[in-house]
Amino acid sequence: MHAVVDRSDYRIKPDSVWSGLWKKTAALGIVGLVVSAVGLGQDPKRFAYSYLFAFFAFLTLGLGSLFFVMIQYITKAGWSVSVRRTAEFFMSGLPIFAVLVIPVLISMGTLYGGWLGGHEGGHEAQAAQSVSHGAVAKPSDHSHAVPTTHGPAVSLEERNARAVEDAKHKQHAALVHGKAGYLNKSFFLIRVAFYALVWIFLSMRFFRWSTEQDVTKSIANTLKAQQFAPIGLMLFAVTLTFAGVDWLMSLEPSWYSTMFGVYLFAGSNVVTMAVLILATLGLRKNGPLAHAVTIEHYHDMGKLLFGWNAFWAYIAFSQFFLIWYSAIPEELVFFHMRWTDNGGTWKGITLALVVMHFVVPFWLLMSRNIKRRLGLLATGALILVCMHVVEIYWIVMPNLGPLHFHWLDVTCFLGVGGLYLTVVFRAMEGHSLIPIGDPRLTRALGFENA
Amino acid sequence: MLTKADTRVVEGPPKRVALLLAEYDTAAEVMHAAERVRDAGYSKWDTHTPFPIHGMDRAMGLADSRLGWIVLCGALTGLTAAFTMMYWMNGVDYRIVIGGKPPDTIPSMVPVLFELTILFSAFAAVFGMFYMNKLPRHNHPVFESDRFAKATDDKFFLSIESDDPRFDLKATRKLLVASHATQVEVVEEEEE
Repeated sequence: MHAVVDRSDYRIKPDSVWSGLWKKTAALGIVGLVVSAVGLGQDPKRFAYSYLFAFFAFLTLGLGSLFFVMIQYITKAGWSVSVRRTAEFFMSGLPIFAVLVIPVLISMGTLYGGWLGGHEGGHEAQAAQSVSHGAVAKPSDHSHAVPTTHGPAVSLEERNARAVEDAKHKQHAALVHGKAGYLNKSFFLIRVAFYALVWIFLSMRFFRWSTEQDVTKSIANTLKAQQFAPIGLMLFAVTLTFAGVDWLMSLEPSWYSTMFGVYLFAGSNVVTMAVLILATLGLRKNGPLAHAVTIEHYHDMGKLLFGWNAFWAYIAFSQFFLIWYSAIPEELVFFHMRWTDNGGTWKGITLALVVMHFVVPFWLLMSRNIKRRLGLLATGALILVCMHVVEIYWIVMPNLGPLHFHWLDVTCFLGVGGLYLTVVFRAMEGHSLIPIGDPRLTRALGFENA
Repeated sequence: MLTKADTRVVEGPPKRVALLLAEYDTAAEVMHAAERVRDAGYSKWDTHTPFPIHGMDRAMGLADSRLGWIVLCGALTGLTAAFTMMYWMNGVDYRIVIGGKPPDTIPSMVPVLFELTILFSAFAAVFGMFYMNKLPRHNHPVFESDRFAKATDDKFFLSIESDDPRFDLKATRKLLVASHATQVEVVEEEEE
């Protein structure tokens, strides 16, 4: 093919900025987590939500990378071999989440009090955190702070209002009670363990198959990975969907959306493609990937980024549209929290998601010429990485209350991100940056878009 | 007196030279030939191969396809048409509240906005492609050549049309022979 491949050369050089980067992220992560631990003592509720936000901002990247790797195997893709290793590095950080999940489990009483401690206890917790909405009761209004004493001095209107509130309260309790077969502590913990096992197994298995091949050059590894990819993808689909249900959807236990799993999956793929573009650009700038990842690869990664983002928008709108149109109270609660409720403070972010996660990147990344201009492609990717973080914030935080930033959001983000990236960057330094033993590597190196 | 051998009877209607057709054995050869023809400045010519060849666009000096812009125009037309139609019907001409939603609200328009955008894009893509390929046409002079059937099997062809301003039977033929063609054929078609 075009490039002469010196296969010993695809490693991070000692003088590169990437060399020893893991030490910096490790320091950042540890400082972040220690400071957050102080925050846990001061404001356990805020910590719980901030931490869950940080946890999902990075978990989705790890899971999206796992999906990308498995898809390359199941499709026997040739073009992507030289970028697959970068995705494998981000995938290889998944096992650390088995440790990083511990603070989520510590805070589960706070996060999932709505169903963990029985529906009554949950209601008090929710009533305490929800904001006052004034006299007009909205379908999503979960404030049950109305006193229940029915004295003779109370007017008829007020009694009626209370009766409506009581009915809502009972309905909500009945809804949550009906889900108790799934949403209960022991089953929840069993599922957490199952997700952890599946993700650790899949990420380690695929990473080993690929890195082992660097040395052995054995084609058998590629075949094994190809054969296992369909099973891996099925396990992935189930675990990602239910993890989304368990950890994010159940923050508001009465709410349900059958699209939520796909929605989370779409977002994971967007952030993965965007990070893959930015990471390979960074690795190229400082050396080894310069000839292995070409403009043709960026064109293709740009197409995937554009495609996944259009898919994300399609799913996000479909979820909104069906809920908005049918207007069933227990479904509407999700969007009410992010629009009129919480003092309307989340409106701006909701609109920002529409504009900056869809409209702007959609028009920016549509043209072939832009996807082949690396500066513009990187701009699009950077916008989408930022908007992914904003989106996870928007999914988690409105359950806590009105929009207001807290230093714990930042320290948790740095803590979780620091530790996760430490694992990723260490793997980058320990292995070749492209799978030098892969039988399809030459095809990837000479790849061209027709 | 004329002998039978001297009589050159031309059967059928008069013919004219339509194109020169060069045949090659490999994809690499036809690609190099295309580079020569491109550099010689020809404009009305084409290559015919059994499968797409990576890099042929560049070898032929083809610019990026303008089809995308036609599709974009189709998409924007569809979007505008759908919006105007629904806004006029539901929001102005005959306002009816359905499902408690404002009659002219955008979310309920989105599915139709999306569908008409896709529909018009697809039409623009198909018919734009037809237009740019000068389709439909019933015949092309290359099919006059019996050898040309091999273009769908194992041979690679390059044709230069006689209406090309640089076309000169002798010089063009020389160019094609020099490009390692295994065969150069003069293809004729009936005059109109």
